[in-house]
Amino acid sequence: MQNPQQTARVGLFFVLGMALIWVTFETLSGGKLWFKDKGYEIIAGFESLKELKEGDDVRMAGVKIGDVARTRLAGRRAEAVLRIDSDKKIKSDAHATIVTQGLIGTGYVSIDLGSDAADYLRPGAEIRTRSTPDLNSVMAQIGDLGKKLEGALGNLGSAFGGDGKSPGLLQKVDQLVAENRDNLRQTTANLQQITDKVNKGEGSLGRLINDSKLHDELLAGIAEIKSGAAQAKSFIANAQAIVDQVKAGKGTLGTLVFDQKAGDDLKASLASLRSVSDKLARGEGTLGKLISDDSMLRDVRSLMKKADRALDGLDESGPITAVGVVANGLF
Amino acid sequence: MRPLVRVLEGIGSTLQLLVRAASYTPTLPRQFGRFIEQCYLIGYTTMPIVAILSFFIGSVLALQSGHAGQNVGYKQFIGALVGLTMARELGPVMAAVLLAGRVGSAIAAELASMKVYQEVDALETMNIPPARMLVLPRLAAVLAMMPVLTIMADLVGWFGGAIVAKYTHFISIDPTSYFANLRQYMDFSDVLNGLIKAEVFGFTVVLVCCNIGLNTRGGPREIGASVTRAVVTSLILILVLDFFVTKALMGD
Repeated sequence: MQNPQQTARVGLFFVLGMALIWVTFETLSGGKLWFKDKGYEIIAGFESLKELKEGDDVRMAGVKIGDVARTRLAGRRAEAVLRIDSDKKIKSDAHATIVTQGLIGTGYVSIDLGSDAADYLRPGAEIRTRSTPDLNSVMAQIGDLGKKLEGALGNLGSAFGGDGKSPGLLQKVDQLVAENRDNLRQTTANLQQITDKVNKGEGSLGRLINDSKLHDELLAGIAEIKSGAAQAKSFIANAQAIVDQVKAGKGTLGTLVFDQKAGDDLKASLASLRSVSDKLARGEGTLGKLISDDSMLRDVRSLMKKADRALDGLDESGPITAVGVVANGLF
Repeated sequence: MRPLVRVLEGIGSTLQLLVRAASYTPTLPRQFGRFIEQCYLIGYTTMPIVAILSFFIGSVLALQSGHAGQNVGYKQFIGALVGLTMARELGPVMAAVLLAGRVGSAIAAELASMKVYQEVDALETMNIPPARMLVLPRLAAVLAMMPVLTIMADLVGWFGGAIVAKYTHFISIDPTSYFANLRQYMDFSDVLNGLIKAEVFGFTVVLVCCNIGLNTRGGPREIGASVTRAVVTSLILILVLDFFVTKALMGD
């Protein structure tokens, strides 16, 4: 039963099988099942992990640098713990995004290169994330927007066109215009007329608008009124000063008004004057006679005639003689 | 009531045989010759049929999925589809089915005739327990050979799929992209998963066939009945266990 050839075949078969298993293992897992590169872990928090699941790739600029070790809920966000190969470094200002690939919902975490100057992320640190808008939520928002727009346009439409129960804005305006068509036409005609007149320079307003001379005069008049007002102001100021002085009892008028004795004097003077004028009226005294008696006038007239003759006669007698004659004639 | 009792009887005697065989494990080095002989029968002579069958299973997988997927647009995933299906499910199951058909039937027939022709009784008279001399080398051999058979089934299946994917006009995917896709979506854990399943199936098939063979009573007609029962029971057990082992290995 037991021959060396059989044993050799079984041995070969077994070795071949083990070799195939090893080759498969190396090919599929890259020899990373038991002595897998532990790498280091960083945390990425997202609003939603979408299709992301454990074992999905983590890629930097398209190159696989690790995988998603765990996914978990942390408070009000979802966290993905990313296992990064220990020889791969991530800049601290790099951003992680979830990329959904294909229709069957395979996704990976894409990390950008970050800036040159930034330092590296430490194991256990949290990487910045950027959420990409989910196509579904974008669609939902667009739908909402459309609904709102439709509502707004509907309101606008019913406001203009009426909604069956109450007439719309357009109908109301239409009605208003129809009812007041005559008034409106008249008003417009009047307005036309007025503007025509104004245009042609008719009427005060028209002249005011069209005639520059009137305008100049108006200006001059206003200037005069202004200066008059200024003068009146200074006059009033002076008057005020006088009144002040009068009040203070200074000056003649002041004394007159505020000094009792002067008042009495004035009264007496006025009384004497009255008596003098009375006498004069009655022809009393020389002056009275002179005023009321015409005989004196006649005397004077004749005297004047005499003097005139004397003057004629004494034409060549010299001035002294003439004076003497006049003196004689007078006295 | 009687079938249920017979099923429970079968389970009980199988477990008894397992415990007895396991208790003789230290004697295995002294039975190395028998172990090699069983390895030869279980592994080496089964390998061609496993290779042929898995080649065509991989081919038909690629063909069917390519045909179904040509309008849906997943034919670039044929590599992953064939690879995962072969490694996780069809490789181990086909190896175990062929083992049941080719080796299990032979074991059952051999042990049943030994039992019917009182060779087993003679061994027991000589104080050689059949569990030690007849069962233990076979169990050890199947444990050693099952992974080898399964990995061959997997690889030959993958290559069969690749060839069909390349030369079928409505698929025409290069082996390069086929295997790139396969590698992208597969991990060695998928293959390991399949190997563990194959071990469980192979061990069960050999154990059940040994037990049914050793429990044969009667004449030459019962030998045939035992062989039939052994193969049928093995196939049922393979598919029932397949579900539970797969579920257990998925970890949830």
